[in-house]
Amino acid sequence: MVFFAAVVAHFAVAVLALIGLRRRPVIAACAGLVVLAGTALVVVTQAIGATSAPRKTIEWLPLLGFNFTFQVDGFAVVMALLVSLLGFGVLAYSIAYFEHDATFTRFVGLFMAFAGSMTGLVLAEDLFTMFIFWELTSVWSFLLIGLHDKSEVARRSAVRALLTTGAGGLCMLVGIGLLQNQFGTTSFAQLREAAPTGKMASVAASLLLLGAFTKSAQFPFHFWLPGAMAAPTPVSAYLHSATMVKAGIVLLARTAPIFGDTGVWRWWVVLAGVITMLIGGWRALRETDAKLVLAHSTVSQLGLLTVLFGIGSPYATYAGVAHLVAHAIFKAGLFLGVGVIDHELGTRDVSKIGAARRSVPVSVVAIGACLLSMAGIIPLFGFATKEKALVALLDAEFGLVGSIALWGIVAGSVFSVAYSVRLLHALVRTPNDSASNDEHHAHHEASALVRTTLAAPVVVAAVVSLGFGFAASTVGSWLVSPSSALDVKAVSKLALWPGINDALLISLVVIAIGAVIGWKAPLEDNSAQQPQGERVFDAVYDATIAGAKRITAVIQPGSLPIYVGVTLLLVSIAPLSATFVDGFGSLSGLTSGTALEASVSIIAIVLALGVAVLQSRFTGAMFLGGVGYAIAALFALRGAPDLAVTQLLVETLTIVVFLLALRAMTRITTRPVARFPQITRMFIAATVGIAIPLLALAARDARTAPSASQEYFARSVDEAGGRNVVNVILVDFRGFDTMGEIVVLAIAALGVANLVRAAEQHRRAAISVKEVAGS
Amino acid sequence: MIKSKILEELIDRWLTKVGTLVAIFITFRGHNAPGGGFAGGLILGAVFVLQYLAGQQPTIRRKPILNPERLLGLGLLLALVTTATPLFVGGAPLESYIWSITLPQIGKVKIVSSTFFDFGVFFVVVAVVLMVLTFLGTRGGAISHEPTDGAG
Amino acid sequence: MSIWAFTLIAVLFAVGSYLLMERSLTRVALGVGVIGNGVNVLIIASGSDAGEAPIIGREGVLADPLPQALVLTAIVIGFALLTFLMTLAWRNWTITGNDEVEDDVEDRMITRRAEQTAKLGDEPHPEDVQT
Repeated sequence: MVFFAAVVAHFAVAVLALIGLRRRPVIAACAGLVVLAGTALVVVTQAIGATSAPRKTIEWLPLLGFNFTFQVDGFAVVMALLVSLLGFGVLAYSIAYFEHDATFTRFVGLFMAFAGSMTGLVLAEDLFTMFIFWELTSVWSFLLIGLHDKSEVARRSAVRALLTTGAGGLCMLVGIGLLQNQFGTTSFAQLREAAPTGKMASVAASLLLLGAFTKSAQFPFHFWLPGAMAAPTPVSAYLHSATMVKAGIVLLARTAPIFGDTGVWRWWVVLAGVITMLIGGWRALRETDAKLVLAHSTVSQLGLLTVLFGIGSPYATYAGVAHLVAHAIFKAGLFLGVGVIDHELGTRDVSKIGAARRSVPVSVVAIGACLLSMAGIIPLFGFATKEKALVALLDAEFGLVGSIALWGIVAGSVFSVAYSVRLLHALVRTPNDSASNDEHHAHHEASALVRTTLAAPVVVAAVVSLGFGFAASTVGSWLVSPSSALDVKAVSKLALWPGINDALLISLVVIAIGAVIGWKAPLEDNSAQQPQGERVFDAVYDATIAGAKRITAVIQPGSLPIYVGVTLLLVSIAPLSATFVDGFGSLSGLTSGTALEASVSIIAIVLALGVAVLQSRFTGAMFLGGVGYAIAALFALRGAPDLAVTQLLVETLTIVVFLLALRAMTRITTRPVARFPQITRMFIAATVGIAIPLLALAARDARTAPSASQEYFARSVDEAGGRNVVNVILVDFRGFDTMGEIVVLAIAALGVANLVRAAEQHRRAAISVKEVAGS
Repeated sequence: MIKSKILEELIDRWLTKVGTLVAIFITFRGHNAPGGGFAGGLILGAVFVLQYLAGQQPTIRRKPILNPERLLGLGLLLALVTTATPLFVGGAPLESYIWSITLPQIGKVKIVSSTFFDFGVFFVVVAVVLMVLTFLGTRGGAISHEPTDGAG
Repeated sequence: MSIWAFTLIAVLFAVGSYLLMERSLTRVALGVGVIGNGVNVLIIASGSDAGEAPIIGREGVLADPLPQALVLTAIVIGFALLTFLMTLAWRNWTITGNDEVEDDVEDRMITRRAEQTAKLGDEPHPEDVQT
């Protein structure tokens, strides 16, 4: 199917860039542009206007229910278009941005791999398919954040992002496993039909939410996203505003119709979303690096989207789709615009970027338009979508949660107006020290072509924000199909001028307050301390590594006796704990046994204790033989003559082997080195001694089916021509086992032979060395 | 090791012969009574151990067995062929075939194909014991008793 | 299972594990031998009730032949393993003059390194850098 081919084409370009075209990254980038444009074209021609959403499944592990399923419904179309069109713009921009930068070839490869994974993610109609691409985006994002691998900040940020999103992904996998186990499917549509409820559904939903929250940087996982700003501007613009962080939102959008009514869901999403919105807004007001301001604003806006998609009201879903589009456009424009200023001035400090309006006036105007869209000012697209969000939440009736969501969004909107206005203020203000920017001017003499290429996507984003604002009702009608793909009732419309209503009044108040705060907010405020979240993460990370090393030092000190001790202890803990849970009831099933059995067992026990106590090697071997003979007698008593005979002979031969080997050694073994205290060894030995027979007892009681021997008895004479069933099992029914066993015997014998040969060689070498030394 | 001339003679003359016969008998009858390739092989192994302790080369009918590795290979091969042969005639691996033949004087005798497998096991076990005696016993002993200085 | 079999298994496993935690390979081999016997008794005792030899045609209740077949092979394998271990101990002795298992030097280095705790973003430890 053509959509699979489109995704594969992304990866093909990635491989090409990383392997084939290392020296010509621009050619690889052009191939990437073609693929991205082609994907957009394919999505538009194949999916828009189709009577039913194109769907295709590739079976992977059908028995386990793991398949790759793509379904290109309206929502998938919007997301795929965002991914490929924004990708097109960002990649074109990056050709200019990375001029003379050796990392460009790696960037193109990773970028295309990321775009392919993201396309796969948004087209997925199945939690499992989504998970595969989800984890891939985490990996590519890790590599892209750490693109400048010589920088320690970049490495740290990359590790933080990977571990946070990776941990969330694992939680998600567990949730998927629970759902698969319970309902036998991971398809969104089938899960929606199954309508999971109850405790299991709540657990699964919470786990999926953890995945979504880590990916979309929701509280308390919001810290990794600003850190990821260590990446080059195109990466930040694409991954951390428009696409990857939207993956969590996509997951929320797809699963909200399934879990929206489980008790925990709505509380989780609203609380996380509102807190994130406020934290992000607050930090965005205080940062002095324009890129970090944008990063925190992204965190804040993602909180808004989380609330809209998660709350599960049809209008809110519609507003969410609309705002998602608006945000992707203006935020990509803003990031790229800041990149233009950075490229031009060599600084992103908000107190200095005012100088840019002289050198790159067009870009600055475009950035201003994007900022107004983010603030939600008429006539830009952001106004229409935020208005819709307020209306949707005013109408929704969710009681207390609904109120928290509404007033949280109002407060968050004040912040978003404020940080937008603060950046506007920074842009229009004349910086205090105009000397510094001349100096930067000097060494940034980029060609006109480069500057145009850099500015173009920013301008396009601004024009689209403005155009969509004026054409709000048309764009709104386009968005009906995407939102109704998520929720059939989510049919609404957008308008540039909604008329005077409650939402508009709230908006006016919000804009007024926000504008005042934003204009007054200091630009120089240097609160450059490390955010709380990062510090907590680093502390946990360092403690984990240090703890792992300490545990390794304890359980892996290089001493074989200690390894054996740890292993034995762990082996016996499992059966012991199981017995404690089940009780010791099976002990009552012990019989007293015959007198003969008792006396033979006592002999064996005494001899075995002797092996442990006596330090003489040879006496130990003799006692071991004695244990063996006693056990042979026990076998004879229990109706196992074959075993008795074999055991008797083997024990005899064992004594002979010990005798042969011990000829060379001293009589007494040395006392063990004190590293491992005697009392610990005794404790571990006793634990094993208690655990194993309990396990044997439990195993005996656990039998549910009759022994396989019943069948062997029946078939022995007719099919195998033998009456001794033990022997028939060995040479016929289970003959393969015996075959393997004699191979082991042969290997052991060859091992013995080679050990002796090795010793002979060693001795010969030693003698010849001595002779040389002597002569 | 054992320095009695009479005992040496006894082992040489009688024990090996009787022991070999008993071992083969035990292996044969294993299908219907206690015994089999493992027990039989261990019995013959025990005979060789006695010979070794008497200071003799392991022999059968005064022919010393010089290369136990060959015996090991022979045993494995015999077991493997028995396992694989039914595959060529369209059966499952290790499927048993039972032939009944009437011998003069003795009467009806049932021969089961898996007996050959058991003899493969028998040879392997005997070979293992022989290898231990040759390597760890004879050659290892030669090293241990060499005069050395320092280690040892 | 009788109380005697139960106790015997307990003692064999305890003694065997005690010996396994020694440094001397001879003692370790003895431990393997004792534990091996313990396992055999365990399988027979928990796998079937006592009875007559499982030979068709015998009178009375026949014992379950399957555990017996398993244990029969285990006995012979155990012999091979012991032989190999003792040859190993013997070879160690002829070469180094003792039969003790030395500490693993590499693992000791890990222990030493754990004392210097690395922080996220630190330069890699010199031993981790491939040369």
